[in-house]
Amino acid sequence: MPTASLSVLDIPFDERPDPDEYIRAAMEWHFGPDTGSPFWLRTAETLDFDPRRDVKGVADLALFPNVTGELREVPVRDLIPQGYGADARIVGVFESGGTTGAPKRIVCLRDWLDRLTHGLSADLDGLGIPRGVDWLAIAPSGPHMVGEMVAGTAARHGGLMFRVDMDPRWVKKLISGGKAEETDAYVNHLVEQAAYVLRTQDIGVLMTTPPLLERLARHDDLIELIGEKVKGIMWGGAHMDADTRHLLRSEVFPGCELYGTYGNTMILGGATERLGLGPDEPCVFDPRTPFVTFSVVDPASGRPVPYGERGQVVMNHVSKSALLPNNLERDLAIRVPPPEGAVGDSVADVGPVAMFDDEVVIEGVY
Amino acid sequence: MDFLDALGPKGPYRSRHRLTVSDVTGVPMAELSLVPRLFVTRALAALRAADTLPLEERLAALKRAGELFATGTVAGMSAEAYEGAVCRMSGSPLANVRIAVEAIRLSATDAYRNVQAARPVGAVGDWRDPYARSGTAVWIRRGDVFAVHAAGNHPAVHALWLEALALGYRVAVRPSRREPLTPYRLVSALRAAGFGPDQVVLLPTDHDAAGEILHGADLSMVYGGQEVIDRYAADPAVLPNGPGRSKILITADREWRDHLDVVVDSIARHGGTACVNATAVLVEGDPAPVAEALAERLAALPSLPPQDERAVLPVHPLEVARGFERLLLGKAAGARAWLGGDGVVDDLGDGSAALRPAVFQLDDPRDPRLGVELSFPCVWVAPWTREAGVAALRDSLVVTAITGDEALLDGLLAEPSIKNLYIGDHPTHWIAPGLPHDAYLGEFLMRTKAVIRG
Repeated sequence: MPTASLSVLDIPFDERPDPDEYIRAAMEWHFGPDTGSPFWLRTAETLDFDPRRDVKGVADLALFPNVTGELREVPVRDLIPQGYGADARIVGVFESGGTTGAPKRIVCLRDWLDRLTHGLSADLDGLGIPRGVDWLAIAPSGPHMVGEMVAGTAARHGGLMFRVDMDPRWVKKLISGGKAEETDAYVNHLVEQAAYVLRTQDIGVLMTTPPLLERLARHDDLIELIGEKVKGIMWGGAHMDADTRHLLRSEVFPGCELYGTYGNTMILGGATERLGLGPDEPCVFDPRTPFVTFSVVDPASGRPVPYGERGQVVMNHVSKSALLPNNLERDLAIRVPPPEGAVGDSVADVGPVAMFDDEVVIEGVY
Repeated sequence: MDFLDALGPKGPYRSRHRLTVSDVTGVPMAELSLVPRLFVTRALAALRAADTLPLEERLAALKRAGELFATGTVAGMSAEAYEGAVCRMSGSPLANVRIAVEAIRLSATDAYRNVQAARPVGAVGDWRDPYARSGTAVWIRRGDVFAVHAAGNHPAVHALWLEALALGYRVAVRPSRREPLTPYRLVSALRAAGFGPDQVVLLPTDHDAAGEILHGADLSMVYGGQEVIDRYAADPAVLPNGPGRSKILITADREWRDHLDVVVDSIARHGGTACVNATAVLVEGDPAPVAEALAERLAALPSLPPQDERAVLPVHPLEVARGFERLLLGKAAGARAWLGGDGVVDDLGDGSAALRPAVFQLDDPRDPRLGVELSFPCVWVAPWTREAGVAALRDSLVVTAITGDEALLDGLLAEPSIKNLYIGDHPTHWIAPGLPHDAYLGEFLMRTKAVIRG
C-alpha cells in the first residue's frame, strides 16, 4: 500500500519535488516488498547496504552497482514494480541500440512516458514551436524508445507524426564492416523516404539525428522545403559540434528553431538542450532532475571531474516506473553546473574523444 | 601568425574546433580552424555552383598568384617569414622549402603550357577551333570540382594541383595538419590574384569530415601510404599518390664509383622526404662496397635545425623521430647495417630531433624491404642478378638505370609499374617542366569528345 510519503512519486508534471525526499520515496517504492519489482527485490539481497535506510538522496545513488548489463537477459516482466498491480499500463518494451554488445531491455510505463512528453512539449512551447502542426520523425522506431518518445511528444503537442524508420543497429554494422557504399545507400534511402513526406505533407516539426540533418542538407530542394514548412527541428541520438550547430542555425535552416536532446534508453528518455546559449557556447544538456540525474567522472578514479573538464557520464533514472542508478555510460562530456534548482551535473559537448594526432608514423613519405 | 582560418566560399572561416599547430620543438605557432563535415558539404556545393573563370583570366591570375606566393606578402606574411615558418613547422630543411617555392611559382606561371603536354595530339581545346569544321576531338574536363587531400611531407606537393585550376576546375584542398601553411598561403595568393572564394577553397578537417571532401568532388587526388593506394585502387574518381619506392639499378658494365654523386643525391636531396628519393639501390655484383661508400658519404651530412641555411636533414618532434626510428629498426632486423644500425635520431636538444641517414644491405633482390620507404635519407642496398631482372624493380615511381644493356632498358620501359625511367647519370628526383610525374595529371582530369560543326 502506498504510504503518504510515496505520493511525491506522482507529483504533478509541472511541479518539481524536493530531490532527496523524492529519492527516499523511490527507495521505499522499489524496495518495498509489496511494491518493488522482482528484479530489484532479488538484487537487494546481494547489496551490502539497505537502499531504504542508506540511500538518503541523489548522491547516494552512487552506492548502487551498475546493473544495466543484467538487462540483456533479465525477463522483462521482472522489471515491473509490483505496486502497479495487475493494471500496470505498459507502453512497451524497449531496447538499447546495441552499441556495446547485445541489446539491453527496459519496460516503459505510461506514467513515465506522460511525464517525459509533458516536459518535452513544455520546452517546445518555450521555443515557440506551435501546437497542432504535424511532425516527421526520421528516427529509430521498433524496439527503440526514441520513436515512442517522439510520437508521444508529437501527440501531446497536438500533431500527427509521420515516420521514417531507421535501424541504427544495421547502420552500425555496415559502418563497422567498412561498407561505406551500403551505408550511403541506406542513408540515401532514408532521405528519399523523408523527401516524399516533406513534399506532400505539411510538416511543422522535424525530428532526426545530426548525421541525417547533414544528409538532408546535401539537397538544395530539401533545404528549401524545410525552410518553407518546418518551424522546429528536434535532434538527438548523436553528437553535434558547436560549429555544425551554428551553421545549421545561421545558414542552412535559419528559419527553424533547433532543439537538441541527448537521449538514452537506460534513462528512459533524454536530457534536453539548455535554451538561450550563444553560438560560441557548446550545447549544454540539462537532465530533468531528480527523475534523471547525471554526474561526470574521471573514469579511472570514479570521482567527479572539475567543472569545465571532460569526463565520463554516469546516469541515474529514478521514477515510479523504473530504477536504473549509477550507470557508467560510454559517452564523454564536459561537466557543467546544473541550472538553478536542479541537482547533479549538466553536460556539454557530448561526444567521443577528440581525435587529433593522425600524424602517426607511416611507411611511405606522406 | 595566430590563426590559420579555413578559406571557405564566403571568405575566411574561423571555427570553434581548432587544432594548435606547433613547430618541431613544440612551440605553438597557429590555431588551425578545422571545419565540420557540413561546412565541407556546403563549400563543395558552392564550388559546383560557381562558374569557371575564362581561360585568359585564370591563366593571368595563376601567374600573378605564383609570383605573389614566391615573393610577396600574403595574408600579412612576407615570403621570407613564410619560408622560415614552414621550416619550423614541418621540419623541412630551408633549402628544401626554397626548392618547393620555386616549383610552385613555376607551376603557376607555366601551368597551361605544362598541361597542354598531356592533351592527345588529335584533340583541340575548343569547339571554335577550325579543325572542328571537319570534325575533331575536343579536350574537356571530366568534371568541375577537384579535391586534393594534400600531404605534408614536402611543400612542393602543392605545385601539382595548380594544373587543375589551369584546366578550369574549381579546387578544394584539404591541407595536411602537420603543414597547413603552404596551402593556406597558396590559396590566399590565388584569391588575392583574382580567383574568387568559390573557385578555390582550403578545408582543414579532422578525419570525420575528410571523406566528405572526396564525396563532394567530381574527382580527387589523395596522398598516403600503401593502405591509401589499396583503399582507392578501384575508384575511378580518385587518383591515389602513394609511396614512390624509387630505385637505382647499376649493372656490372658500369663503374659505380663514377655515379656515386648521383646515387647520394638521389637518396638525400629534399631531405629524403620526397617520393622521388631513392629507396633502394640494386647493384649487379657485390653491393657491399657500394653500401660502404654511401654510408661514408651520407654520414657526413650535418644535423641542424631546419631553418638553418645549411640544413639538409628532416627534423621532427623528438617523439615522432623516435617513432620513425623504431619503425626502421624493426624493419631492418637481420639486415647488415652500414649506417644507422644503432639508431637515426639525433636529439637537437630543443625538443626536436634530426633524422640521420640509414644504409642497410639486404642479400636478396626480392626482399620486400627494398620497398620500405621512410621520409628521411634511408636506403636499402641489395645485389641484382639477371634472374631477378625487371621484376626486382617493379612498383617504382622512378628507376634510374645506370646500364648500357638496351634489352634491359626495353624491359624497364615496358614495365607498367615503373612510372618513370631515367637512363644513366640522372638522379631519381630529376624533373623538368612539361614532363609527367606519375603520368600527366591531365590524363586523369580530362577526356576527349568528338565534335563537328557546320
